Amino acid sequence: MTFATRVYLVLLLLCTVWCGGILLAPLLAASAPEVSSVLYRCYEPICHQLDARSFHIGGEKYAVCARCSSIYLGFFVALAVYPLLFRPGPGSIPQRTWIAVAVVPMLLDVFLSLFGFHQSTLFTRAVSGGVFGLVIPFFVLPVLIEAITQLRSQFLSRGGSFHARKAQ
Amino acid sequence: MLEKPSKLRIALISGAVIGAVSSVPGISLINCCCCAGVWLGGVLALYLYKQQLTEEMPPLESSDALMLGLMAGVIGAFTATIINVLILVTFGPVEAELVKSIVEKVLDRMAEQGSMTPDMIDMLRGQIDQSIKDAGRASNIFGGLFIALIVYPIFTILGALLGFAIFRPKMPQTTATP
Repeated sequence: MTFATRVYLVLLLLCTVWCGGILLAPLLAASAPEVSSVLYRCYEPICHQLDARSFHIGGEKYAVCARCSSIYLGFFVALAVYPLLFRPGPGSIPQRTWIAVAVVPMLLDVFLSLFGFHQSTLFTRAVSGGVFGLVIPFFVLPVLIEAITQLRSQFLSRGGSFHARKAQ
Repeated sequence: MLEKPSKLRIALISGAVIGAVSSVPGISLINCCCCAGVWLGGVLALYLYKQQLTEEMPPLESSDALMLGLMAGVIGAFTATIINVLILVTFGPVEAELVKSIVEKVLDRMAEQGSMTPDMIDMLRGQIDQSIKDAGRASNIFGGLFIALIVYPIFTILGALLGFAIFRPKMPQTTATP
């Protein structure tokens, strides 16, 4: 297994835990309310968690709103399918215009709704958030793998020179 | 070749901006959208650092983005907590009151539409009042700092990596399509 693949798997694991927490909070609300409450609390600083703006499982809202849920689940799905499309590793970053493609629907949904030109619904929030979440990993993953590879080689070269000095 | 500038100064500036954006009542609501303020703080850190680099210095690397994001996130978490405590001591739970006023409007509308039972609305109102009472508790402040120390660096790193993808010099092999 290459170093890049290991970095990818760790990121996928972290993303699974993050998205798992979002779904576990409502699922545990009846059987383990204390754990569920802690999970809701963990996601509180990053989302308003309004009931009317959230998806529900079994009558309980997700730990984050519909837009945030779609962003994170989209991120997770894109990360999961990434190896089917590209080899995880540094290098191939999409053209910058894809960031605009990802961001514009969400900004339109937020600002048109804010100024009263359009009524944002669970569907529009989920779709615009999902598009953003689906695109971002294609930018972040190659850069992250490249960054960690660079830091690792810097660390190893420093460690090597330290041991060489110690041997002298 | 000249050395790259210190990341600490840029991280301090970005961390201060993140802290201010995340704790000033009203502006902090931007973080309700997937920590957008924190993400943008990471992008800002990367942008400011890139502005500091000259042609005599080594080029911007992705590891710079990772470290900048990490540092800005940690500093941002501490700054946000300190500003929050200062606002709490000086003005009281202003932000919780602001959120309460917004949620009250939403609850009133839902009550009119009948999309929520009166019991549930009363329960939510009770929870909001309780959160206003609990705002100044030390356990709440340290709990908030603990969560911020985990969450902020994640989002600032993502922001800085995204910033690197946006601001990096154009390279011939960048042809992948999502």
